[in-house]
Amino acid sequence: MKNSLFKESSLKELAEFLVNYALKKGADEVEVTLTETSEFTVDVRWGNVENLIEAKSRQVGLRVIKDKKTAFASSSDLAPETLKRLASNALERALFSNSDEFAGLPPPSKVEFDLEALRLYDPEIPRLETQQKIKIAEETEKIALSDKRITNSHGSTFETREAKTILANSNGFLHGYKETLCSLSLALQAGETDKRVEDSWSSTKRHFKELESPEEVAQKAVQRTVRQLNPRKIPTQRVPVVFEPTMTSWLLGFIFSCVSGVAIYQKASFLEGRLGERIANPAITIFDDGLLPGKLGTRPFDSEGVPSQKTVIIEKGVLKNYLCNTYAARKLNLRSTGNAEGPGVSPNNFYLQPGETPPQEIIRSLEKGLILIRCLGLGLNPLTGDISRGAFGLWVEKGEILYPVSEITISGNLGQILEDIEIIGNDLEFRSIFSGPTIKVRELILAGY
Amino acid sequence: MKKEPFDPEERFGVSFSTLKRILDLALLKGGEFSEVFLEYRIYNLINMEEDIIKETAESISIGLGLRVVSGEKTGFGYTNNFEVENLERVARTASSIAQGTREKASLPFHPSLPPKNFYPLKTLLNQEPLKKKISLVKRAYQSALRFDKKVKKVKTTYTELLQYITILNSEGLLISDLRPLLKLTCVSIAESDKTREAGYYGGGGRVGLEYFLTSLTPEEIGEEASREALLLLEASPPPAGEMPVVLAAGESGVLIHEAVGHLLEADFNRKKTSIFWNKMGKKVASSQVTIFDDPTIPFFRGSYNMDDEGTIPQKTILVERGKMMGFLQDKLSSRLMGMPPTGHGRRQDYSSIPLPRMSNTYIAEGEFSPDEIISSVRKGFYAAKYQGGQVEDSGKFTFSVSAGYLIEEGRLTAPVKQATLIGSNIDILNKIEMVGSDLKFGLQTGTCSKEGQEIPVTDGCPTLKISSMTVGGRE
Repeated sequence: MKNSLFKESSLKELAEFLVNYALKKGADEVEVTLTETSEFTVDVRWGNVENLIEAKSRQVGLRVIKDKKTAFASSSDLAPETLKRLASNALERALFSNSDEFAGLPPPSKVEFDLEALRLYDPEIPRLETQQKIKIAEETEKIALSDKRITNSHGSTFETREAKTILANSNGFLHGYKETLCSLSLALQAGETDKRVEDSWSSTKRHFKELESPEEVAQKAVQRTVRQLNPRKIPTQRVPVVFEPTMTSWLLGFIFSCVSGVAIYQKASFLEGRLGERIANPAITIFDDGLLPGKLGTRPFDSEGVPSQKTVIIEKGVLKNYLCNTYAARKLNLRSTGNAEGPGVSPNNFYLQPGETPPQEIIRSLEKGLILIRCLGLGLNPLTGDISRGAFGLWVEKGEILYPVSEITISGNLGQILEDIEIIGNDLEFRSIFSGPTIKVRELILAGY
Repeated sequence: MKKEPFDPEERFGVSFSTLKRILDLALLKGGEFSEVFLEYRIYNLINMEEDIIKETAESISIGLGLRVVSGEKTGFGYTNNFEVENLERVARTASSIAQGTREKASLPFHPSLPPKNFYPLKTLLNQEPLKKKISLVKRAYQSALRFDKKVKKVKTTYTELLQYITILNSEGLLISDLRPLLKLTCVSIAESDKTREAGYYGGGGRVGLEYFLTSLTPEEIGEEASREALLLLEASPPPAGEMPVVLAAGESGVLIHEAVGHLLEADFNRKKTSIFWNKMGKKVASSQVTIFDDPTIPFFRGSYNMDDEGTIPQKTILVERGKMMGFLQDKLSSRLMGMPPTGHGRRQDYSSIPLPRMSNTYIAEGEFSPDEIISSVRKGFYAAKYQGGQVEDSGKFTFSVSAGYLIEEGRLTAPVKQATLIGSNIDILNKIEMVGSDLKFGLQTGTCSKEGQEIPVTDGCPTLKISSMTVGGRE
């Protein structure tokens, strides 16, 4: 049976086999996830291929529940003996856990999935020739290096990934889907050794046709890098701050960690117990949508088989929903939103609804303030909403960009920022799981000299 | 007579003769070096929250990473399917990084052993009874919860990892290592009428369960986590602006990890992206500063008997009295730079390419007592606990302080929370005015991330005074 496990039918068979085996061994409920991934990466630096990586791997994930006691297991060894031992071990371990009335699989449901409509798979990606993939990376870097202001390169990378997921459980769920990803990125430095600045740009898509061209990626990376040359430090002050879309993305990532149902039942978020309250100004509407065709966070169902949906998180400033897996939902007496990822919760496409103002106009509205372009470091506390990070930006006076700024920190509080988002741009693009347009925040504290 | 930690052919179910053939096949197109990295890992987790053992998990992973090097180029593939036909396919694919014809064959294997074992264990972690492990988790949990009425939520996590590694290469290397890794951590959330705060503590290393009897008890872990949460309840946001900063001994080692360690990793210097690439032998720090990276500290989380390329590791001096003295090398960079290897080639797992990485990085002790250092500051900031940090090749770094104190008239006064320190490395290194005599290491729970690969590390330092640094605060 050489390589037969790589065929779709046998992945399904293997999943069913493991579900049945664990049931036979005494499990009340069983969930099995099988994934098979093929990946390709090429790194090019100063015109030479540095790394060429090709690999195929498999993984099985298992959850068993016995007397409302849960145990998890996973393995990259899919040999039947290993899987049997893994299941038996899990059942044995489950006995050492405590019974938990909220544990268990989602209730059975009969859902048809329209995989075509979700556009998760691009057949062109597995067909790309190695030489073509190398050429894309080479071309991207070459365009950037032709700009004399660029003094060094971290290299450009082209990656593709093809994955197959099968989910089976003891409630009769047995579905699978295939997906693809491709990504082109470039990281650069400008300036002399002791005054270097650096930045990068990347484009990641499910469909090869939608990927930004080498020219676009190179130009973006160059422009983002050289605009930071000859930075100044600024005095400590409170000023309005404009977030570029990439910065709005991290802010959304932080909001996600504060509305995750797991953080809520663990009382680890300042937004616990605030459903139905106004927590942001009325211009703010945030969605999580697992059904947007062809987007990076799109999937037919979550890791427990709950169908993806569009969930409103904040509607006109009012906190409407937490993102839940089945367990968090039961704990909070809510419904699962189809955001399960193992024992945790993950976002699908989590985005801030755009406004009407073009980004240039937002910058022009700055009498004196900072455009935030990059951050460094952690400094996010979901318990309080406090934010404190290293920052890079562009200093603006009378609507004109004057000079880049570095070695400063920004601090604020998410609760306050949600009140203080004064203008929302019209430039929403789905570039990552977290997407948002340019925004203007009334005031943040910048620490400098 | 020392013996192999395990039998690789049995452990991985593949014979040396097959692997020899695979290494040879990988050189088919003229590659000059080929290597097989075999890994088997067993990982276990126990999680307690809301007064119950909520989750246990076991994860098994087995795989092979195959690398071919040709000049500056690396071809790499990995698989968890060990059938000969599949291994041959992986070897052919990786071999195509070179585009000529065969120039050399692989040498016969010369089995060897790492000369020292820095983590001898009486009992393998996975052979200890589950009950014993659960009891450790419960003890830490209970002591955190009982520490104070204000503690409302506790989460305790136990993880153990056993990693079996065998490395074979075309130079005839055949060497194995068996590495344990243990960690017990606790997060406490305390609540006042105004706010909630979280505290964190933990310990472990390449140790057995007896560590929790002798070195650090579960009770201490629980209490320390709660103590931090309570401290933060009383803390205010820190001041903002430039001021003298004193870094507490131990956890402040993250400064050295971020500001110095990463940028002395050889790959960034070979590629000339690091600010240090042209500064060997030059002064980059105040003359009180001496920095080491030492993978050979017994039982430490960042230690190893051999690195992930089979090189025997060495305690490596990076900065000596302010002068830059060395890089952290892996095989590829040391060959391309013509410098001796230091045994710092590490990888997350079989699916990752080795990179030059840190292990246990620290500033050596100086001559000042911690009291002397604090009392030298009239008005400043004392950084005690950290969330972590980040650096970029240009030398700009930040680190996030979760708890600290104000220094007023030479004394620690009000507690403060959530500050970010930011600076440029050479600038800050030159501003280290006083180095304490109290070298300590931070928690044995740290993980370092580079190019998406996570590996266990530790860092340490004595109390340090930086004459002036930007503190990102809110007052």
